[in-house]
Amino acid sequence: MGRSVRHIAHRVLPLAIGCLVAAGPATVVAQEKGDVAVVVNRDVPVDNLSLSELRRLVLGDREFWPESVRVTLLIRAPVAHERDVILKTVCQMTEAQFRQHWIGKVFRADTAVAPKIVYSNEMSIDLLNRTTGAIAFVDAPQAGTNLKVVKIDGRLPGDPGYLLR
Amino acid sequence: MGHLHTAIRTNVIAAAFAVSLVAPVVASAQPDHASQDQPQSGTGVEYPSLHLSGFADIDFATQAKSEGPRGFSEGQFVLHLASALSPRVNFFGEVSFTPRADAGTGSPPATGFNAEVERAIIRFDQSDRLKVSFGRYHTPVNWWNTAFHHGQWLQTTISRPEMAQFGGKFIPVHFVGGLVEGSLPAGGLNVNYQAGVGNGRGNVISRAGDAGDNNARPAWVLNLFTKPDRVFGLQVGGSLYADRVSLPGQPEFDERIIAAHAVWQHEDPEVIAEIADVRHTQDGAALTTSSLAYYVQAAYRLPSFARLWKPYYRFEHIDIDPADPVFAGVLNLDGSTIGVRYDISSYAAIKTEARTKERASNQPRTNGWFLQIAFTF
Repeated sequence: MGRSVRHIAHRVLPLAIGCLVAAGPATVVAQEKGDVAVVVNRDVPVDNLSLSELRRLVLGDREFWPESVRVTLLIRAPVAHERDVILKTVCQMTEAQFRQHWIGKVFRADTAVAPKIVYSNEMSIDLLNRTTGAIAFVDAPQAGTNLKVVKIDGRLPGDPGYLLR
Repeated sequence: MGHLHTAIRTNVIAAAFAVSLVAPVVASAQPDHASQDQPQSGTGVEYPSLHLSGFADIDFATQAKSEGPRGFSEGQFVLHLASALSPRVNFFGEVSFTPRADAGTGSPPATGFNAEVERAIIRFDQSDRLKVSFGRYHTPVNWWNTAFHHGQWLQTTISRPEMAQFGGKFIPVHFVGGLVEGSLPAGGLNVNYQAGVGNGRGNVISRAGDAGDNNARPAWVLNLFTKPDRVFGLQVGGSLYADRVSLPGQPEFDERIIAAHAVWQHEDPEVIAEIADVRHTQDGAALTTSSLAYYVQAAYRLPSFARLWKPYYRFEHIDIDPADPVFAGVLNLDGSTIGVRYDISSYAAIKTEARTKERASNQPRTNGWFLQIAFTF
C-alpha cells in the first residue's frame, strides 16, 4: 500500500500537474487609447464621484444610487482599454483578481447580479441610455454631448490630473 | 409556568423585532408591476433570473489516520444558486454533496455522498443602508466563515482554520433566522453592520437548529466592520454572539462569543487574523469557562512572471477550557500550515501544503502533506 501511494506520488501527480499547468492562462494585451469617461443614465442623480466611491460601485460594495435607484454596472469585456483602465486605476486589481472578486461577491450572497458585460462602446451607450441606474465606461471622445459624464474627483476627461487614462 | 411565559415573551419580542425590521422593506419590495417585476427596459433582465455556479475539489493527503482521510479523496461538490426575483428581492442557495465513509446503509456502511442545504437566503434590498433577509446562513461571527463558504477555490489555502472548520464545534458555523444588514459611508470609514436573531446551536452543537430551536432562547448575533476608503483593502471588525446551549442530559449553558478580525485583502501581501473567545456559563450555577482560538495567515502573490504562484503560511491556536462540558472532546491545537497556491487558470488552482499540529504538550506532533486541485465552473 505504501509503495503504491509512493508510485502515485512519483509518477501520476507530476503528469497531472504538468497537464494542468500546460493549459496556462490567457495573455491579455491592452490597447493604447486615451481618457476613459464615466457615464451614467440620465436618471442617475449624481454629477461627481470620488475615486473611492467609483471603486465601491465597480466592486459592488455600493449597489444603490441616492433615492434607492439600483446600480446596473456595464463593463467592457476583457482586453478592452476601458476595462483595463478601470481594473488597474480604480480597483487596483489584475483581471484574475477582478474575476475572483466578483465570483466571491455573488457566492457570498452580497449580490445576485454581477456586472453586465458589453462588447463595444456603442453597446455600452445603447444599454446605458435604456437602463435606469446604469453606469458605464467609454472612450472619452465617444461619450459625445448626449451622455451624462460624471466628474471623478471633480475632473472631467481631458482635464489636467484626470485619473482614468 | 413562569419559565414558559418568559420563553414566549422572548420569542414574541424576537419575532416582533424581525417583523418590524422587514415590514418597510417588504412594502417597498412589493411587486409594483409597472416598475419592479418587469424587465428593466433594454437590459433584457427577466425575473426570476437564475445564475448557477459550482465549486469542486480533488484532494490527496498523507497524514495520521486520526487527523483525517488519506490518499485521494473527493472534496465537497458545491452548487451555488443566485436568483434575482425582482430588482429588490434576491434568493441565494448553496447545496453541497459531501463524500462520507458512512453515508450508506448496511454493515459496514457503504460510502456515498451526503446532500446538505448549506445556505438558503431570501433577501429584500431597501438600499445599501438596509437589507433584510431570512434563511440559513453561515453565521457572521467569524470572517472566514462568511468570506469563503464551501468554495475551496476561493480561499488561498487548502484547509480552513480549525476554529471555523465545517463540522467543528468552536463557533456555530450555521445560523437559521433573520438578518438585517447594511453599510453606512460614515465619512469614508464605510461601516458595515449585520444584526441577526434566530436558532443557534442544535442538540448536536456542531449543527444549527434547522428544524426549530431546541430551547426557548433565540440566538443573537451582531457584527460590525469597517472598510476605510483611505486604506483600500483593509477590513477590521468585531462580532458578538449570544445563545442558550441545550444539550440532551446536561444542564443548560449561556454562550457568549466575542470575536474580532483584521484582514488586508490585497494579495501582495494578503493577511488575515482572527480571534474568538467563547464563554459558557452554566444556568443557575457558578461554573463559567472560557476558551480561546486565533489564527494569523499571511500570503504573498509573487510579482511579474511568477504571479501565478502564491506562497502562504498560517499559525493557529486553540485553547479549550478543560472544565467546559459543552466543548468536551474539542481538541487543543498549536498548528502551522505552510504551502503554495498555483493558479493554473482564472478558474482553477493547484495548492499544496504541509501541516504540523500539536494537540497537547505531552503528545507527539502530527505532520501531513496535502495536495488539492480546486476550481469553479
